[in-house]
Amino acid sequence: MSQKETHSISVALAAATCTLLGSGISATVDAQEEPAWDFNTSLLYYGEDGDRVKDFSVSAIARRMFIDDRYLTLGLTIDGLTGATPSGAIRQDVAQTFTRPSGNAAYSVAAGVLPLDDTFKDTRLALTAGWQQPVGDTSQVSVGASASKEYDYLHLGVNAKFARDFNQRNTTVSAGIALSMDSLDPVGGAPAPFSPMLDVGDTSNRLGDQDKDVLDIVLGVSQVISRDLVVQANYSYSKSDGYLTDPYKVLSLVDGTSGDTLLRSIAPGVDGPSHQFLFESRPGERTKHSIFGQAKYYMNGKVLDASYRYMSDDWEIDSHTVDLRYRIPFGANRYLEPHLRFYTQTDAEFYRLSIPDSLPLPGHASADYRLGNFDAITAGLKYGWRTHNDNEMSVRIEGYRQTGSVPADQLIGNQVSRDNFPDLNAIIVQFGYRF
Amino acid sequence: MKRTVGVGAMTILLCTGCSSMGVEPWERDVLAKQEMQLTTDEIEAATDDHIYFSKEASSGGRGFGGGGCGCN
Repeated sequence: MSQKETHSISVALAAATCTLLGSGISATVDAQEEPAWDFNTSLLYYGEDGDRVKDFSVSAIARRMFIDDRYLTLGLTIDGLTGATPSGAIRQDVAQTFTRPSGNAAYSVAAGVLPLDDTFKDTRLALTAGWQQPVGDTSQVSVGASASKEYDYLHLGVNAKFARDFNQRNTTVSAGIALSMDSLDPVGGAPAPFSPMLDVGDTSNRLGDQDKDVLDIVLGVSQVISRDLVVQANYSYSKSDGYLTDPYKVLSLVDGTSGDTLLRSIAPGVDGPSHQFLFESRPGERTKHSIFGQAKYYMNGKVLDASYRYMSDDWEIDSHTVDLRYRIPFGANRYLEPHLRFYTQTDAEFYRLSIPDSLPLPGHASADYRLGNFDAITAGLKYGWRTHNDNEMSVRIEGYRQTGSVPADQLIGNQVSRDNFPDLNAIIVQFGYRF
Repeated sequence: MKRTVGVGAMTILLCTGCSSMGVEPWERDVLAKQEMQLTTDEIEAATDDHIYFSKEASSGGRGFGGGGCGCN
């Protein structure tokens, strides 16, 4: 008998025995073991093409098991981010000059090139802590806290979740709540919405620090359908309040006929923007609703993991996400897992490519491509194996591609012939080790 | 409003149908496998949530909405 067969029989026997005794599978098995730490670690590289964003990330989750099925979970992530990101300004047939977000210097972009803000460089440290334990025979409660710090951003959060099993543990109903209290301290100060980009050294349009609060509620049901099939359905509500504007994004103020960005006069001896740009303005509230469904199906050792999410918010963004993973075991301890993800979203009600000077200013406007109309596809492959000392390793390589378009009724004059929504291509490489 | 009623009706249908579904306690060998857990790898799931939160207008669904960063 192989080691694998022995293991699966022992798992089956443990499952049957424990459940007959009236407690969860892991509950009784764990209760018989000494407290111990488990670690799940990862190294990640995320890189976009050209000079755009790159992220090197190290993550670790440590879990300590205590008697009676109680767990302490601690998480740590360190991100090192570099690269350039679209500023929101449109391409021009002439070179453009911008004041950096700090207000202390200027940079130029060549004619015909998409303006990217190349000052994006940050280190992010994120910490999480959680405690989970049973309540009575059929319920579980967990509480947690999270914090993360970037140069210009501080996040503090708390969360709690309650889950109850029914129907011989075949049905689990859960409810969770999370609160975030975030503070923004943008480089150079947060600009006033719709204020113009000013000369180097002029910070008269900068506001002080800003805050953002987020409330998340998740209600879920998971159901065992058969020996090989388990499904879950979640409803999520998310409400954000506060400064939801991106302090580094701008819009081009354009001529209402030619669509070209208006020139700006600069005093001699002063550095400053060559054209007229306005800082973006988003509403101070956002409410999102999501429905998520997932099924996991076991087919003679292979596992299909399929999920779908629909999201709709009061910024009039609707999105659909389909995620498919298919785990194929081979050899004694190895597997391959192809992954496909499809995503599509509609643009926010206030998404604008530019602001024409011939019309009054809209209530809100943003040229952030992430609020635009686009599709995205992720395709990847993961290879995993169990080491001789029973630890697990995996490596996955994935490609991510976004293709979008600006609504035709927003294109003015010369904008029609320009590439206003360039594709985004990224590669994701992640190495995982569990021990 | 229509959407809320629809979600409520689906939830009730799902729950009333649940009592006749499921497995006996001794049939949980497959469901106990790590690869059959709804979230197989927490770090990978968190990584994906973080990447897509940063690049798209949607987040969450599986769990809380992600975030905790100035990237979006």
